[in-house]
Amino acid sequence: MNLAAALLPVPVLLPLGVAAALLVVSHWLPSPVSTVLAIATALAVAVICAFLAHAALQGPVLQWFGGWTPASSHRPGVVLGISFLADPISAAIAAFVGVLFAAALTFAWGYSQEHSHFEILMLLFLAAMAGFCLTHDLFNLFVWFELMSVAAFALTAYPLGKSSLEGAFNFTIINGLGSFMMLAGVGFLYARTGTLDFTQMGRAVTGIGSDAVLSAGFCLVAAALLTKAAIVPFHMWLSDAHAVAPSPVSVIFSGAMVSVALFALGKIAVQVFVHDDAVMTVARSLFVWLGAATALIGGAMAWAQRHLKRLLAFSTIAHLGIMLVGAAAVAPPAMAGFVLYLFGHGLVKASLFMVAGILLALRASGDEIVLYGKGRDLWPAGIAMSIAGLLLGGLPVGLLHTAADRLEASKPFVSAVIILATALTGAAVLRAAARIFATVSGAPGPEITAPTEREREKDDRPLWLMLLPCFALLVLAFVPGSLVLPFVERAIPALLDPFGHAAAVPAPEERAIESYAPIVLTVCLFALASVRQRATRPLSRTIFKAETLAFRGLQFLHSGLVGDYVVWMIVGLAALALALGAA
Amino acid sequence: MHLLPWLTAAWLFAVGVYGIITSRHYIHLIGCLTVCQSATYLLLLSIGYSWNAGPPIFYDHPPGTAAVDPVMQALVLTDIVVGAAVTALLLVIALQVHKRRGTLDPQALRPLRPDQ
Repeated sequence: MNLAAALLPVPVLLPLGVAAALLVVSHWLPSPVSTVLAIATALAVAVICAFLAHAALQGPVLQWFGGWTPASSHRPGVVLGISFLADPISAAIAAFVGVLFAAALTFAWGYSQEHSHFEILMLLFLAAMAGFCLTHDLFNLFVWFELMSVAAFALTAYPLGKSSLEGAFNFTIINGLGSFMMLAGVGFLYARTGTLDFTQMGRAVTGIGSDAVLSAGFCLVAAALLTKAAIVPFHMWLSDAHAVAPSPVSVIFSGAMVSVALFALGKIAVQVFVHDDAVMTVARSLFVWLGAATALIGGAMAWAQRHLKRLLAFSTIAHLGIMLVGAAAVAPPAMAGFVLYLFGHGLVKASLFMVAGILLALRASGDEIVLYGKGRDLWPAGIAMSIAGLLLGGLPVGLLHTAADRLEASKPFVSAVIILATALTGAAVLRAAARIFATVSGAPGPEITAPTEREREKDDRPLWLMLLPCFALLVLAFVPGSLVLPFVERAIPALLDPFGHAAAVPAPEERAIESYAPIVLTVCLFALASVRQRATRPLSRTIFKAETLAFRGLQFLHSGLVGDYVVWMIVGLAALALALGAA
Repeated sequence: MHLLPWLTAAWLFAVGVYGIITSRHYIHLIGCLTVCQSATYLLLLSIGYSWNAGPPIFYDHPPGTAAVDPVMQALVLTDIVVGAAVTALLLVIALQVHKRRGTLDPQALRPLRPDQ
């Protein structure tokens, strides 16, 4: 066995082992030691996964646990074992997750006062996400999905504040229901194909073609992963959970957890269902529309928020919609764009959540109207927030921009929606930054009626320590896309068909004018928000009322009631089932 | 293959979801989630079941004897373990919510919306 294959289980085993060891010895360890240990573990996972990604460029890195290879069953076509398979993209995403965890743990220095429970839960979360990226077995994927969920539930509730407990409860119910759907879907797929291994299942699906049981299985698995990835109408839980979780945890939630779920859905679609016409038709039609709707609703809701973390949560929803539009094309160039977007968005969003965390810790609020002008002494955080806001709004540099250029939408309407959503989220962040750090602001618009809260975070660490990971991630976001793109384009064929020799990705033509549209619109929207006057004249009052009414309708739908969220989930499940039935 | 277990699973899931949607108490809601989960147990077991087959233990049977699918049983076992963890976590959260708010009515407990 070569080195790469031997190292393949380590990204999961190492954090699990360190977490277990910490659980035993943390009573005696001084708290900084366990934090350093956790950061070192996350960095080690990142390094090992980066090595795996590099090694996988030469061919898939495969590990059958316990030596249960397909040959060992002595029956052709029967796979009894469970395998991990690292293709370059999956390993690179796992490495990215490791980097984000290292940054989040640095940011959360001293967060866990006793027994290092915070670090232990974070390491468990990291192990689950690494396994989720690397596994090549559907049921194993479900296990990592569940472990990821349980760690996430506990981390959301960790501060034991009023809002965080209620948010964690909604999060747990919705994602718990999602995981039952996933398990039922796995059952259906196994019933039809007789295997759980991705490659073997893909072969079986190719032989069977479109089939009601397969469609039902895909429908349920997709519903679960779309719930995790917060795609409309499965997205309701995200704004509550991300807004109330501790900031370092929100960094991971928005930066990696949701987009990794979308990546897993894409991986299952291309590796298992690529020859199932019904599924592919739905992916190319319904998913594009769902993505566009998600981008639009997320962007509009982000624009109408005043609580920073809730604003960022809705912007995550919007950008996941954009990613879904890209991934739904199932074309290699768009897939390359999707992967780059995952990296770029994760870095930018993680640093934005860190700025929100800095404000919650040092200024005891996350409300842009309450915080008006209170961030002036924290100007480096303001610089970070403005840069991140510009990047989010389509500033033509860095990973996110290169990625957005590759995500081609076939329909002009969808492209327009993507540009609008990008601009809305970027301008919302800029508006909040201007209010908090520069005292530049117009009168409050529809955001004045948005929900907010008074909870704060512990201010037990210096500003520079919190800014360090924030700026480190921002610098990474500025890496020119042209440096990363060759690797991604070389690796995409291995993602589409791990054991095949698919052709390399053709380079798409450059688009000059369109790519500047988002940033122009961002700046326009920001300017509009900055010059907004209090509505005193009858005409402006009518306009303001209509605007508030529209946003209030949207706010009303996001009611915070778990029962309403479940209704929307079932509506989404029914829509998926209908589309698959009709295809 | 019998239709009954499939219909029962669908019915259980529907009943559980209805309960979650209309619930006015966290503990009742958690119970409804468990009902949804039992639908998946039933579904998986009925997928793996075959008539006139024994348990998948070959200690005192010759290999090759008809047996029900052990993979599905393994999945159900894993699911039960995970379900127990999630339920325990939910109950702990419910307990903490009750300590802080004195109520378990979802209508009164909406995150970030204190005055509704």
